[in-house]
Amino acid sequence: MARTGFCDSRQLLDLHMTDDRPVPLRTWANSCVLRERRVFAEGEEVAPGQHYKPAQESRWVRRIPISAEDGIIMDYAPQHESGPSDVYEEEALLKYLNRLPGPPSLRELMPELLRREMEVAISKLGLLYDKTYAWDIFSDMMRSQLLCTLPNADLPKHFSDTTRAILVDWIIQVHEVFQFSEETLYLAVHLMNRALRLIKVSISGLQLLGVVCLFLAAKKEECLLPEVSELCYLMENTYSKKQLLRMERRVLTGLKFDLYHCPPLHFLLISASIARCSDKVVWMARYLLELSLLEGHCVVYLPSQLAGAALRLARSILQEAPSPDGEMAWCIASSIHIGSEAALLSIMQIMATAAARAHARETRATFIKFSTIQTLHVSMHPALKAAPGLLGLSCPQT
Amino acid sequence: MAQESAVQYEPVAEIGGGAYGTVYKARDRDSGQFVALKSVRVQTNQDGLPVSTVREVALLKRLEQFDHPNIVRLMDVCATLRTDQETKVTLVFEHVDQDLRTYLEKVPAPGLPIDRIRDLMQQLLCGLAFLHSNRVLHRDLKPENILVTSRGQVKLADFGLARIYSCHMALTPVVVTLWYRSPEVLLQTSYATPLDIWSTGCIFAEMFRRKPLFCGDSEVDQLGKIFAVIGLPAEDEWPTDVTLSRQNFSPQTPQPITDCVPEISEKGAELLLEMLTFDPLKRISALNALEHPFFTE
Repeated sequence: MARTGFCDSRQLLDLHMTDDRPVPLRTWANSCVLRERRVFAEGEEVAPGQHYKPAQESRWVRRIPISAEDGIIMDYAPQHESGPSDVYEEEALLKYLNRLPGPPSLRELMPELLRREMEVAISKLGLLYDKTYAWDIFSDMMRSQLLCTLPNADLPKHFSDTTRAILVDWIIQVHEVFQFSEETLYLAVHLMNRALRLIKVSISGLQLLGVVCLFLAAKKEECLLPEVSELCYLMENTYSKKQLLRMERRVLTGLKFDLYHCPPLHFLLISASIARCSDKVVWMARYLLELSLLEGHCVVYLPSQLAGAALRLARSILQEAPSPDGEMAWCIASSIHIGSEAALLSIMQIMATAAARAHARETRATFIKFSTIQTLHVSMHPALKAAPGLLGLSCPQT
Repeated sequence: MAQESAVQYEPVAEIGGGAYGTVYKARDRDSGQFVALKSVRVQTNQDGLPVSTVREVALLKRLEQFDHPNIVRLMDVCATLRTDQETKVTLVFEHVDQDLRTYLEKVPAPGLPIDRIRDLMQQLLCGLAFLHSNRVLHRDLKPENILVTSRGQVKLADFGLARIYSCHMALTPVVVTLWYRSPEVLLQTSYATPLDIWSTGCIFAEMFRRKPLFCGDSEVDQLGKIFAVIGLPAEDEWPTDVTLSRQNFSPQTPQPITDCVPEISEKGAELLLEMLTFDPLKRISALNALEHPFFTE
């Protein structure tokens, strides 16, 4: 597949790294960090990545904690490599520089590592049978997701974000009634976001539009479909079956049959699997991700960014005791977000604010869904109310 | 919406009866461009548009996002209601004036130079490799739906349509050509991406010959014509799950392929034989065909 040229992994990474070319390590290290970080002295940034042979990839991996020299990660530097003297490092560097024609760059090593992890994660999740294609699939996801955002969060004049949130909340409830897969929900809301901007509907037709988007998402994703009469019943027979099917044709024509979506949930599960996140973190992240469906401003962000932000926020909310392996795995998983720090932070702020007031809102379907024992009661977690505080925002009064 | 699409595209001429319905050349009033309109009538029941149609057209749209140079552009799709039981799905494709059939007919006497054939084949295989890597079978590859632009660019058309049309197919009394069908399709056994490679092989030979390679008038006759060239497959190669038995055909030994395609080069003949291999599992894939020495000789 790679040979056909659609899934070039190099291009993929360039996507994120073009702006950071001069200091690859620094941006890489930055993306691993959650709290304050120390400013690097010149030279330090380049040195550590360079004095290791490409064959010794595992050693290179282990070096990360030291090379990053960050508050969090420093503590886990393996004992045998703890010689802290810069002199020693410089010597080693010189030795290697003299011997090697050209040291491998991080840009060459990083994808290889991520690629291996990706293969394991994708096959573990059962997303495919042959892991040879894992990286191609992931590269394709990274590229295709660019088509899954909207240019702005503006809604047609007579709709407000509140109206939209109420509609999404209702779709979430109907989705639960039919026990559809999660992908169907994300697809339905994505179709609704696009359809709202593409076809003219009145306020009274809004619910019909919502249900049709869910119906179409189900036609794309599900094996068992609800009957049209059931859907009409759920809307208290406000609309006839004929009206519903007419809306279906309008939406399909409006969307030009383009029903593709790259669900953020897939990015979340892949990243969580690479990062060895605990079940609790994953459920918390899924909760935050689903809350983002209700937020009109989130439509401009990439699915991978939404997923990355949800996972990062979930980790800082739950504050689980870190382990060296866990931190390292987290760094690898985070490397797909190089260059999107600002976006991730904005999304985390939206999610944190939403999560802090979720229990008190009118649109509570997601809050209730994630308060059950199966979801480890994540939506009831006490730390959620203080979540905005973690990001330096003020917490809402309750 | 029905009016809208009728207004936007002004029919200019009937291009021809495709196997599944009439195709129109039309002018897009907005851009002035010519387009090809293909309509499918699908039965709609109380559940609205059938799942298969929704998924297949969505897949065509998805392929469109890759903007592959050897795939015909799908510019627009619309769904309109005809009657309560029938919805018309109109696919709007870019219009290319010339297909490979007319292109080959126009070639003067000594035939196409081999470099030109190499270029056409490479583009054709590129498009096919793209479809196959996206799990799409063409199923009906023939010179009529391989388009050649005035600048010599090859574009595959009509791929994947077979499945969209399938529910409607039984009603159409149109005979679909057998000439490019692979043995496994003719024998009605299971088939996958190799079926398109067989058709590509037939087309490859046709580029040299400027006339079709196997012109059968029934399934059995078509198979007979194939075996007359590639030889009757061995007993153990014959698929077990088919009704047509090997005994129906007279034993034949393979003919040198250069008897049928005298103009072909040595490497070209090798590639052609790898495409016209009876066993679909042994047939070369589109990706591997692109790596064949024929393209570098």
